[in-house]
Amino acid sequence: MENADVFLGLQDFLERMRQPTAADFVKSIKSFIVSFSNNAPDPERDSAAVQAFLANMEAAFRAHPLWAGCSEEELDSAGEGLEKYVMTKLFTRVFASLPDDVKHDEQLSEKMALIQQFVRPENLDIKPAFQNETSWLLAQKELQKINMYKAPRDKLVCILNCCKVINNLLLNASLASNENPPGADEFLPVLIYVTIKANPPQLHSNLLYIQRYRRQSRLVAEAAYFFTNMLSAESFISSIDAKALSIEETEFEKNMEFARALLSGLSTDVDGLSSQIDQIAGHDPRESTESGHENLMEDHSVRPKSSETKPSNKENQSSITKIPSISELENRGAAMLLKEDQRSKVFRDYPYLFAHAGDLTISDVEDLLNNYKQLVFKYICLLKGSGGGSATFPSSGSLAQVHHHVETVKESAENRVLEQNIGLQKDTDTVDDGPNRVSNQENIESDFSKDEVVPPSKDNHDDTSE
Amino acid sequence: MGCASSLPGRSSGRLTGLNNAENSGVPDAKNLRVKLVLLGDSGVGKSCIVLRFVRGQFDPTSKVTVGASFLSQTIALQDSTTVKFEIWDTAGQERYAALAPLYYRGAGVAVIVYDITSPESFTKAQYWVKELQKHGSPDIVMALVGNKADLHENREVPVQDGIDYAEKNGMFFIETSAKTADNINQLFEEIAKRLPRPSSS
Repeated sequence: MENADVFLGLQDFLERMRQPTAADFVKSIKSFIVSFSNNAPDPERDSAAVQAFLANMEAAFRAHPLWAGCSEEELDSAGEGLEKYVMTKLFTRVFASLPDDVKHDEQLSEKMALIQQFVRPENLDIKPAFQNETSWLLAQKELQKINMYKAPRDKLVCILNCCKVINNLLLNASLASNENPPGADEFLPVLIYVTIKANPPQLHSNLLYIQRYRRQSRLVAEAAYFFTNMLSAESFISSIDAKALSIEETEFEKNMEFARALLSGLSTDVDGLSSQIDQIAGHDPRESTESGHENLMEDHSVRPKSSETKPSNKENQSSITKIPSISELENRGAAMLLKEDQRSKVFRDYPYLFAHAGDLTISDVEDLLNNYKQLVFKYICLLKGSGGGSATFPSSGSLAQVHHHVETVKESAENRVLEQNIGLQKDTDTVDDGPNRVSNQENIESDFSKDEVVPPSKDNHDDTSE
Repeated sequence: MGCASSLPGRSSGRLTGLNNAENSGVPDAKNLRVKLVLLGDSGVGKSCIVLRFVRGQFDPTSKVTVGASFLSQTIALQDSTTVKFEIWDTAGQERYAALAPLYYRGAGVAVIVYDITSPESFTKAQYWVKELQKHGSPDIVMALVGNKADLHENREVPVQDGIDYAEKNGMFFIETSAKTADNINQLFEEIAKRLPRPSSS
């Protein structure tokens, strides 16, 4: 809603800039933007230059006949419009432009990805009465929107919305439980928890960007307070250790290790995993890369006689997108596993899982062990994810269920045109995970760069490639 | 090219003056705006003090629209000046202590709260005083507040301890009860009186 206001502000601003009397303003803005791009990025200097420019322009607006007789709100909205316009133009130059910041972003994100696997509200002093993980998802969503915007104000609004959601939830919880009204003792821990769970993209860079380029006279009062809380959440997360979470050192390390193993299992190059599965199923991995990775999982590991399905790979691939994706199943299973107190018991049947490479003697034992671990994690997660309660390694009713589901879907998708459509849809979905893609599954994929949103005109490409 | 020189000529002469004045909310000699940071152990009633001050009530079931972690309230003094407090609450749990500098940076006032029934919270308050003396801005106005004064039968920190410590450190001291509203307004009025006034030009 607030973003809509700013949108109107920008519209109004642009409208005024189209007036003949605004020609000087337009010239100033353009030359500022141009002058900016002549220098190498220097955050301190760039920030000061932008702040000074915005301040000067706002003062000039105030004195100009274009805004004669306008209210403070209208002038303010012109200032917002200017900030949004200038920063949208400068965005690619000043956002995450230093290698150090990019690195910091990556480290922070990795840390949150690990911690989020095991952190509990109690670790952060969130009282039971105020715990509400389901509703916190709403706050997480607000935070995850932060990269949808370029203007500092819009990014800030994502943070403020997240804080508002948390405040409202805390307030409701306090009313329901007769607790004292929530203050910072309650708010900050929840914000930290929500942030860890949300793992918002490029958090460090986003905060720096807001700090540097949000007009300083507007980053005051309540906005400044909640922005400070976000900075403080980032700072806390960056330095999280066992003590910060009141976890035993050894327990913390164990949790981190477990999270690392889990994540490496989830994010491993799927081809690599597929080949492992192929090897187990007795197939040559090189052959199998011809088909999409998703049907590899299904065809070669789930189905005993996978080679028979080779000719129909393409159809199968499209149809499989109709059932929950493997990664969805995995994630679901992983979440269930983490909630289980006896997760170590679940893994007891896999003796190598917690073994050290030194325990074994063959030379390439390490490789083998890593593969084995990944495989087991995948398997357990898949079993859990597909609803199977028992976690016995090779035999499983639940996997058969998945198989059955695949078959059904496949048969129902006989229509070639329909298949193509599904295939295209799937292609759209996966266009972003470049590394995981199997290049020759669809020629058209090469027509799109990774970071490009696939245009609707895709059908044409497909036609030419067929 | 400097950006100022590329501005339309007619307005450039007025830039600096206008930039500082006029902007609503910017303080002048008669209307002060001050950032007040609340420090103290969790559970000493920091947010209750603020809510009492801002809303004049303690009723925890009353409908408020935002949390009490940030609130602002303007009071009028007898000399017809007004002071707008922007009150920043901080998380009092030990694990968040290291984050406090982010909050008290730029604060004109620090209110350090302890619970008169909890000696630990009094110790913690002394820690905050020392920290602010070391790292806070040098002209920060500090107040030491013993809250929950209504629970006198459970009192474990004698009034005199609070008075002595505050005096030694040049602080204003008061005991309050957010529950009964005792001394809540007095606390903020006394702080307002102690604020450094911008020299009238």
